[in-house]
Amino acid sequence: MQIILQARGASLQALFFVAISVAMMVVDHRFNHLEVVRTNISLALTPLRYLVSLPATGGNWLSDWFTSHTDLLEENERLRAEGRILNARLQKLEILAEENARLRSLLGSARKIADDVIVAELLSVDQNPYRQLIEINRGSSDGVEIGFAVIDDFGIMGQVIHVNPQSATTILISDPEHAIPVQFVRSGTRSVAFGRGSTTQLELRYLPATADIMVDDELVTSGLGGRFPPDYPVARVTAINEDRVRGFVTVFAEPKARLDSSREVLVIKPRLQSRQQ
Amino acid sequence: MSRLRYLVIYLSLVVALVLMILPLPDWVQIYRPNWVALVLIYWSMALPKRVGLWFAFFTGIILDASQGTLLGQHTLALVVVIFINMNFYQRIRVLALAQQAIYVFVLLLINQLIVAWIEGIMGRPTPLLAFFGAPFVGMLIWPWVFVILRDIRRKAILK
Repeated sequence: MQIILQARGASLQALFFVAISVAMMVVDHRFNHLEVVRTNISLALTPLRYLVSLPATGGNWLSDWFTSHTDLLEENERLRAEGRILNARLQKLEILAEENARLRSLLGSARKIADDVIVAELLSVDQNPYRQLIEINRGSSDGVEIGFAVIDDFGIMGQVIHVNPQSATTILISDPEHAIPVQFVRSGTRSVAFGRGSTTQLELRYLPATADIMVDDELVTSGLGGRFPPDYPVARVTAINEDRVRGFVTVFAEPKARLDSSREVLVIKPRLQSRQQ
Repeated sequence: MSRLRYLVIYLSLVVALVLMILPLPDWVQIYRPNWVALVLIYWSMALPKRVGLWFAFFTGIILDASQGTLLGQHTLALVVVIFINMNFYQRIRVLALAQQAIYVFVLLLINQLIVAWIEGIMGRPTPLLAFFGAPFVGMLIWPWVFVILRDIRRKAILK
């Protein structure tokens, strides 16, 4: 009798937990009420994340330590040369930026040229193979907020979707649930690039067959939607797929940012899009 | 003192959690066994009075938060698996390790089925290889998990 009662108790308990789990999933999927729970658990798990990233950090440190003298000299030389080239380019850029500002002021549109950035480092990469999320080591205490764009030195990587005090979760532009408004540099055509779950491919759906698109065209952010600052490089067109029957074109593009290998990233505070006279 | 000994259970779960969030190359990622489920199955088999549904529930929530899945996804899977285990552990405990491993494979498959099912509802289908791969690796690893945790349990004199 006792055993039967116990068994029944366990079944009821199991049913209870199953019901709670299902309820939690529904609430988590539809609303944001459980965000607090998630944030607190994530916060408690932060030391573990640091622990997990230790081997990689340690490995980097060791390889730095054992880099030979000649390697360093060579690298130094190369960096100096690169610095000179970059400096030369920078001068040109500064002139262009000045000219740009002047022209803008002529047009009467005041827009901040320099974006505020926060330098961050990658803490851990995506634990779920079906999503493309990364964790960075700057959080709300550093001024990071949900919706901030994240870039590396080659282009847009993604945007912040979740903020903890010391870290933030970033969704990459290659996540199947992510879409980014873009513009073709050459033709000016606007479109939206969807992630496909692969770090090497984005997809632009339902472009008109008459759109002026060629392989190797550059894509930049269009700034529409207000999430991403305009004119940052996003991707390069790799393939164009024509659907003659429906009269649409699907374009595939390779992200510029090194989504799977960048460790240092920049978080961009969105600029004020004021258009005051 | 005797209470302190049970810390071993929590510690082993923390280690399993670390193994779950350890970054791996993409091609290995899909074969990553569900360490937390493995460890939890062991403890619920060895100490069924202590490690039961409550344990499964809270471990599941923490796992969900760390994996970025829906809160409740792994929770549901772990609760179901541990509930099944609670009904069978007496018969399974006495089996040889290889036979146990097959049983664990079935449990991990059920776990995977529930997680993949919820992923599917949200429009993220699980690749077939990943679906069977991870539980299979879990089955191969089970004998070691069992032996290591049993030694730890004996050292800590947990009953």
